[in-house]
Amino acid sequence: MSTSASLFAALGPIWTKLRRSLGLAIRSLWLQKLRAFLSVLGIIIGTGAVIALMAFGEGSMQDALEDIKRQGATNVIIRSAKPPEESASASRSFVSSYGLTERDLARFSTFGDSVTRIVPMRVFPIEGRYLDRISPNARVVATTPGYAEVNKLEMASGRFIVDDDDEGKENVCVLGAEIADKLFPFEDPLGHTVGVKSHFYRVVGVAKDRMPSGGSGGSLSAEDYNRDIYIPLGTSRGRIGEIVYTRAAGSRSAEKVRLSQITLTVSDVGKVRAIGNEVRAILEQEHNYKKDWLITVPLDKLEEAERAKERFTNLMAMIASISLLVGGIGIMNIMLATVTERTREIGIRRALGAKRKDITLQFLVEAIVQTSIGGVLGVFAGLATIFTVPMIYKWVAEKALPAQVHVPSIFIALGFSILVGVIFGLYPAWRASRLDPIEALRHD
Amino acid sequence: MPPIVRIENLVKNYYMGTVTLNVLKGLNLRFDEGDFIALMGPSGSGKSTLLNILGCLDRPSSGQYYLGDTDVSAMNDDQLSEVRCTYLGFIFQSYNLLPQYTVVENIELPLIYQGVRLTPETKARCIALAEMVGLAERLDHRPLQLSGGQQQRVAIARSLVNDPHVILGDEPTGNLDSKTSVEIMQMLRRLNQSGKTIIMVTHENDIAEWARRVVRLRDGRVESDIRNDAKTTVEMGRG
Repeated sequence: MSTSASLFAALGPIWTKLRRSLGLAIRSLWLQKLRAFLSVLGIIIGTGAVIALMAFGEGSMQDALEDIKRQGATNVIIRSAKPPEESASASRSFVSSYGLTERDLARFSTFGDSVTRIVPMRVFPIEGRYLDRISPNARVVATTPGYAEVNKLEMASGRFIVDDDDEGKENVCVLGAEIADKLFPFEDPLGHTVGVKSHFYRVVGVAKDRMPSGGSGGSLSAEDYNRDIYIPLGTSRGRIGEIVYTRAAGSRSAEKVRLSQITLTVSDVGKVRAIGNEVRAILEQEHNYKKDWLITVPLDKLEEAERAKERFTNLMAMIASISLLVGGIGIMNIMLATVTERTREIGIRRALGAKRKDITLQFLVEAIVQTSIGGVLGVFAGLATIFTVPMIYKWVAEKALPAQVHVPSIFIALGFSILVGVIFGLYPAWRASRLDPIEALRHD
Repeated sequence: MPPIVRIENLVKNYYMGTVTLNVLKGLNLRFDEGDFIALMGPSGSGKSTLLNILGCLDRPSSGQYYLGDTDVSAMNDDQLSEVRCTYLGFIFQSYNLLPQYTVVENIELPLIYQGVRLTPETKARCIALAEMVGLAERLDHRPLQLSGGQQQRVAIARSLVNDPHVILGDEPTGNLDSKTSVEIMQMLRRLNQSGKTIIMVTHENDIAEWARRVVRLRDGRVESDIRNDAKTTVEMGRG
């Protein structure tokens, strides 16, 4: 208590002096408002640009990261893919057979505890019907109960597929939000039956609206969960069969695929890469080095995206330091002019008892106040840009420009604008303090 | 009573390239407390240089300068600044007020560098000084709104705010007409009569008349040192 009191007593005069210099600086700047404003314009633009660019960079980066995270950072996704040699020889046999099989699925179950969930799925591009209503662009997804968790699918009503449905080959289905809306605009879909090809499935649940995951390149294409009809994997074997017919432009083809995709959820983020490599090794062996599968490890992309973000941030920092450097030189220039202009004032103050350090402090604080105000104005300019430019962009280009205010960048930009004041104010302030009082008093 | 200002063998040289300018050539002077001294001499005599040294704005090349008991000739810049704001008051020919400050704020200025916390009491003191020099109506005016005589009166009030031992005037009436000059000199005389030591530089004989003692310099040496005692006695008697 006593130490803090004595510390306060020691800091008191410094604080008084600082507050007085602050008042003095604001007053001197107010006398030359326009000049002060013009001289900090560089700082304003510099800080504003940094904050705005960071926000736009952050916004698009966040978009990409969100997308990858939606796929699950602990997941390893393996998909069936049409091998290149197969497509070349597709004319010979009408039905091409490739892809993941139940054998692969069985092999993966040997991972033990490090893999907490294995979710296989088959996808059929078939529509669902109810009365005279047809859902266009629908997918029938045959899968197991783990699917909902892996894809972070939440239920709006009812339940998702359970183990009993799968084992008992029950004719039940779960509808995506959009499909439910299309097929049952007026009634509650629960309990009604939806027709898929020649079979009917009782609706047991409706999923909540879920953001589609964007295609992140490679083997993973965009998935729109809202148009899916989910049925138990066991049921699909008997009812739909193994052959998937697809209509390509002008030609018809059929593909025999056992499983479209297998998603493994790894217990620990640290093991994801190792499991991914093992999966790769197993599949290469099992499939005889035929490339009819593709593996995606979202974690890899996450790290790649984060590295890209880091590079972007460094680039921003470089641009920022250049613009602040230019702003700082502007400040120094003006401060040197100010010192020359106010030589007489300096002389008067020195004659009345101001020490060199009082003069240094006065001009240094003046420079810092200028750049700080510039920094604050820059923050506002930046924020204004963040909120107006996406609106204009949307209006002109009819596209969204994602912007995410990057809070640390605001403080860093502010900190740097203050630092610029210190660095570039120091020399003019030092020059002011070295003036000979007698010479200074004679100055007109 | 010991002298308030004592200088011994004071020498000031200016070095301009290879040429050495010998401005003060070993001055010896003593000024008593409560005295009113006029420093006179033609230009180049060294009177301004002497005043700068007395005002601790400049340092002698050699010799001693005692202000009271303290030898200030060996002090560094910071110490001299402290002496200026604690023991000295300045009145300049061109007033030297800060144009952006009001009358009261200009009077306050020396207190800031003394490290005094500005309180309502210090402000009241500054207002009292402004009233004393006859500017009660113009406390919030800025220097440019005042006449030369009024500005000089602000400067006098400012020189008094730290209750200095010595007031130094550098041609305090140099920019004023003769009527205003008389007003200012009357004010300085009143201050002197109340006990303040005043040292002023002037080149006008009728201004020097107001002082009690006139020291004339020529070529860096004391040419004459005369007391105006008779006149002062008359004035004192009248006062």
